[in-house]
Amino acid sequence: MSRIRYFARETWTNIRRNLTLTFAAILTVAVGVMLVGMGLMAGYASGNALDRWEGGVQFEVFLNPQIDPSQLDALGIELQTHPEIDRIEFFSAEEAYALVSQQMADQPELLAQVSPEALPASYRVVPRSVEAELIESLAAQFRQRPGVMSVQTGREEVDAIRTWFTSFQGIVLLLSIVLSGASVMLIFNSIRVAMFARRREIEVMKLVGATNSFIRFPFMLEGMLHGLIGGIIGAIAAGALRGHVEGLFSRSDILAFFRSFVVTSDQFTTVVIVTVIAGVLVGMIGSAFAASRFLDV
Amino acid sequence: MIRFDNVTKIYKGETRAVNGVTLNIEKGEFVFLVGPSGSGKSTMLRLMTCEEKVTAGDVHVAGKDLSKLNSWRVPYLRRNIGSVFQDFKLLPNKTVYQNVAFALEVIGRPENVIRTQVPAILELVGLEDKHRRFPDELSGGEQQRVSIARAFVNRPLILLADEPTGNLDPDTSEELTSLLDRINRTGTTVVMATHDRTIVDRMRRRVIALRHGELVRDEQRGAYGSEADSPEGLGVHPVDGASP
Repeated sequence: MSRIRYFARETWTNIRRNLTLTFAAILTVAVGVMLVGMGLMAGYASGNALDRWEGGVQFEVFLNPQIDPSQLDALGIELQTHPEIDRIEFFSAEEAYALVSQQMADQPELLAQVSPEALPASYRVVPRSVEAELIESLAAQFRQRPGVMSVQTGREEVDAIRTWFTSFQGIVLLLSIVLSGASVMLIFNSIRVAMFARRREIEVMKLVGATNSFIRFPFMLEGMLHGLIGGIIGAIAAGALRGHVEGLFSRSDILAFFRSFVVTSDQFTTVVIVTVIAGVLVGMIGSAFAASRFLDV
Repeated sequence: MIRFDNVTKIYKGETRAVNGVTLNIEKGEFVFLVGPSGSGKSTMLRLMTCEEKVTAGDVHVAGKDLSKLNSWRVPYLRRNIGSVFQDFKLLPNKTVYQNVAFALEVIGRPENVIRTQVPAILELVGLEDKHRRFPDELSGGEQQRVSIARAFVNRPLILLADEPTGNLDPDTSEELTSLLDRINRTGTTVVMATHDRTIVDRMRRRVIALRHGELVRDEQRGAYGSEADSPEGLGVHPVDGASP
């Protein structure tokens, strides 16, 4: 009991004595771990969005312009009755041309080179399952059918977006590592200053036979507390960021894709836990480093 | 209780602070360590508390071979040794009571022990009515008594005093020495490094004299002697053979 009181008292005195440096250390931790949280959330959100998008997207079976009408019907029936397929929609060459001419309205010279006959008709297929693997195997099945020119899934686009998010995450994580390094150094310094301020106490403690771990403990506790407070602030900031970004995306019509860009509450709990633990870890490393460096017998 | 076997301590490969010293101090003895500044007295005390490691030879304190002592055991050794210094080393932001209690607190003694031990020791050193004062409100002699109380509150086997009267006037020095004498009578071994001729000559206790790190005299009921003379405070040491 007297020990707990002692540690609490010493730690509090240290923090109070050293307020500006403590504040700087805590803020750096907060920003650093907020970035950790941000990187994690970006990963989760893009994963969630891509899962939904991959599932929701139709794949398109393009047909040979010279396709035999019986082959066309057979293919239509096969697609319609396939247990994995929800519904299909036929898109004739004329409709395709209408769409293309709409898209190329401001480039008439390009459009002139496209003839309706050269465009393939297609079936747009909405599968029942949302799993990318299944869609891919379904697409592969129909690629082999007679009269089929090609089958396109959203795979390439999805892969491109995933690559973009991975590099975004990489940059954020790199930044968070740099900031965590800075936090370790700031905590190291703030603990060093605390030790310097208490050098007389430390000298007396060694003199009367206090163990090293006893002498170090309040300083370690202080560093961990910096990290914990920074971690909590960082987690709150990450939560605010999540709310802000999701609000922004849900109101956006242009970024329809981003509407599915959300983090589930389970995932957010993980983010909070990781963020706070990262803060405590940073605090522990900084103070342990200072304690072992400046408190030898 | 304290044994030095052919102990040599060389600082940074240059200065020979202690050179081939062999001595044995029994339990309950009162020993004066005399010699001019720089003769190795403080180094001897620092070797006993493991603040310094010997370069050669063996030091045994309280039954422990210090060269074989694990560094994590050093604090436990120091709990058996009380230390008193010329500059008191009191904590200025703590009261007399808190300064003494601190020594017990940081070695994890329970609160009820602290509450009974501290007033008892303050009574022993005669400061029971000043326990709420801060160090800078006390005279030098009183501050040194607080520091003795702190060193002795855990009832150590050994009390080491490094020129405890160095900053005090003769009367106060006398009082302090008699306090150390009383502590010695409880069975505690006391080793006192000193320059104070009057005290050594009056007490007639064992005297160990050092010069240039070597043991030059060890008498059971000794006096200060001429070899220990030194114009203290000027940093001048008498050259061999030339006495001031």
